[in-house]
Amino acid sequence: MTAAVRPDAAAKLTGSAPYGTDLDLPGMRWGALVLAPVAHGTIRAVDLAPARARPGVTAVGAADLPALFPGAQGDAERPLFPTSTVAYRNQPIAAVAAPSLAAARAAARAVRLTIDPLPAVGDLEAIFPAWPGSDAGASPHVAAHVRARHGDLEAAFRGAEHVVGETYRTASVHQVALEPHACVAEWTDGSFRVRTSTQSPFGVREDAASILGIPEASIVVDGTWVGGGFGGKGASLLEPYAMALARASGRPVRLALGYEEEFLLGRTTLPAVVRLETAVTGGRIVGRRVRLLLDVGSSLPGRDFATGYSIGFLLGPYAAPAFEVEGYAVRTHKPPFGPHRAPFAPQCAFVVESHLDHVARAAGLDSEAFRAAHLWTAGATTPLGQTVGAFGLPALLERARATAVAWRAAAPAGHGVGVAVGFWSTSTGAGGEAKLRLGPRELTIVEGEREIGSGSVLVGLRAAAARVTGVPADRIRIEYADTARAPFDSGVFGSRTTATLGRAVEEAWGTLAATVVERLGRPGPLSVAVEHDELVVAAGGARRPVRALLADGEAASGGLEATGRHFGKGGAIDDGRVVDGAFYPYTDFTGSAHAAEVAVDGETGSVRVVRYAAFQDVGAVVDRGTAEAQVEGAVVMGLGQALTEEALWSDDARLENAGLLDYRIPTLGEAPPIEVELVEGYAGAGPFGAKGLGEPPIIPVPAAVALAVRAATGAHATELPLTPERVARALKLL
Amino acid sequence: MTAGLALHVNGRATTVPEVPADERLLDTLRWRLGLKGTKEGCRTGDCGACTVLVDGASVLSCLTLAHDVAGGHVTTVEDGDDPDLARVRATFARAGALQCGYCTPGFVVALAGLLKERGRDAPADELLDGLQGNLCRCTGYAAIVRAVRGLAREAP
Repeated sequence: MTAAVRPDAAAKLTGSAPYGTDLDLPGMRWGALVLAPVAHGTIRAVDLAPARARPGVTAVGAADLPALFPGAQGDAERPLFPTSTVAYRNQPIAAVAAPSLAAARAAARAVRLTIDPLPAVGDLEAIFPAWPGSDAGASPHVAAHVRARHGDLEAAFRGAEHVVGETYRTASVHQVALEPHACVAEWTDGSFRVRTSTQSPFGVREDAASILGIPEASIVVDGTWVGGGFGGKGASLLEPYAMALARASGRPVRLALGYEEEFLLGRTTLPAVVRLETAVTGGRIVGRRVRLLLDVGSSLPGRDFATGYSIGFLLGPYAAPAFEVEGYAVRTHKPPFGPHRAPFAPQCAFVVESHLDHVARAAGLDSEAFRAAHLWTAGATTPLGQTVGAFGLPALLERARATAVAWRAAAPAGHGVGVAVGFWSTSTGAGGEAKLRLGPRELTIVEGEREIGSGSVLVGLRAAAARVTGVPADRIRIEYADTARAPFDSGVFGSRTTATLGRAVEEAWGTLAATVVERLGRPGPLSVAVEHDELVVAAGGARRPVRALLADGEAASGGLEATGRHFGKGGAIDDGRVVDGAFYPYTDFTGSAHAAEVAVDGETGSVRVVRYAAFQDVGAVVDRGTAEAQVEGAVVMGLGQALTEEALWSDDARLENAGLLDYRIPTLGEAPPIEVELVEGYAGAGPFGAKGLGEPPIIPVPAAVALAVRAATGAHATELPLTPERVARALKLL
Repeated sequence: MTAGLALHVNGRATTVPEVPADERLLDTLRWRLGLKGTKEGCRTGDCGACTVLVDGASVLSCLTLAHDVAGGHVTTVEDGDDPDLARVRATFARAGALQCGYCTPGFVVALAGLLKERGRDAPADELLDGLQGNLCRCTGYAAIVRAVRGLAREAP
């Protein structure tokens, strides 16, 4: 690989990059949270006096908030601290700050909680034992319901040659960013300044303002370097607690999670049960019925986005003349559901691909040919009635199948090769702005969010801006700014950052270029060059250094500025097909096709991934090195979901494996060689047709591995992850 | 109970006053000496982010009592003079073997320790085997493997 060295490499390789966990301000106090010892219960008393009796300790509970934030109208549905009922185990009930971490933890332990336990629900299937035979709709545990249908489903099933019904179960998985959540909040001169390791400084500001009931204008959020996010650092978690403690103590307060707490308090993907029925006649799917129970933990009713979004992925990128989908978001006494790299989509792809493979086998058809024959193509209509845009997946699947043919020919006994696909959409609907400053020597992009590691800001945005503006990438600088100075952006999530901000840069550059051309005095396309360390612009035969075009005020402030924005729009879905709830249209259609070769130990059921190939629809390559790295990283993260990763919840909603020893992520020795091929030419929602890349390559991974295991052994897995025990059971070894 | 602690950190003789008997080396380095390049991950010895060298050998600073390394030579990722660290940094940079960077100090120090222990010509597979205790969530290890295999290209 000959890619340029990442601009953040030196700081990260010498240990000088300051992350959230490294925050340390003069006079700082250390915070700790007082966590609920039960998953559900009635709060009788919260006695902070024993904590406050300790030297230097500040303690804050629900009763203190009105005095700390006079007149504040916090969001009643998500109070900072619960006042009557514990919603989930380890829910923060109070917070303390002390001169040292040890003192803070001791003070937290000293708080006396009187809570009467109530029965807790940890298992969503326990709520609906007869589902899907009975309707779940009337239950108070249902937070959201979605349903869509189209075509004559009953007729399709009645007359079908083959009808296959199956039930799948998928696991709760954790993001496992290596850096735990950490922040420092300060209160000075009537406003808060919060430094935090986050994927979304503006999201933190909005959340904190809403939870505390104070104006957004009274909060400035400044991001730090981020030690991995994967969705876990997308919204506020610790910041409002640190802010309350800062307000109460009058000092900067640092709040960070230990790694066990990271598991216990983190918000992530929770378990799901999926029932699928498929009708086939003449080798074609004629009807599909998909039903979902999705555990959303203690998410708020009516605020669940996951079910309506996820259920689209349960149809897969496949045509069906008649279908019905129905999903329930089910509340349990787990922490609220939260996003995890392509939230729930890898689980959906596992379910869909495994099921259609099973259907093909039942109908005596070739699995891959069957799936290929039903794949969406550009211009086709999705089950929800949206027109499919440029979509590389059919071509990618052929590439993956060809790879599989070659691997199968060489595979020894005990090996198997699986092929699976997934699709995603670049989330440019979450909008953002980019501020450009064209100075004498460089073009600056002012940015509120920080690089989280994927390269989407420091590498991708710079490369996209270079292509859009013609300014060489080494003359483009990313200037980080806090939320008071940076233009708005939604955050680094949804595979949106380079795409959305790249489009915003296009708009901003349009404005800047028009001004520059006007000042050059000759109409024509603008070009930019570097001469003698200076940026030189030219249009219509006129040619001047940027320096010479700047007014005095512009020169003083560093250059000519313009802000662009982009709020992407999805295509239309057919409302006539929606029966209940909210479904979400796609801004573009991104395909991934993978091939996996596994070796399965016939005695233990242990699975080893031998080699892996990933074909990725990228629209246009923005930066090849970081793009390939996204695919490699996503594949291995997906292998964890396929093989080992499972948050184990007890029936009363206790997380039983809160640590890296018991929640196993892939290690170096388990990562297979990965071939990555980026396929261009199917334009997406980003600048020059680029598609988002952070999430799509994780989606087909568990499916590809499961199908490879089936090819190797005949074992048909209907649960993730494919632990040795599950594989051994499927092989009737246990 | 606290006591003064004398040790060498990145080649410099250092005395740290009033270090509690149960303080971990990770916390002494980060919060008393300000060497925050050594990262705090799991604090249970499972992730390797806190790896430092003590007398040239890798240790997990989260599981090491600070007083247990009294008099020893501690090397952290910040050490600008160590030739093995320099070589590892160069190959990591060239291979793009980092993303969020939080595991990076642990990998860099652990690999430098392996070069000291096994020799600068140690086979790549042996070095990779020695890195199994370091977790990375971003890269899928692919670029890290390339970095290790590319070590031979970096001048010692």
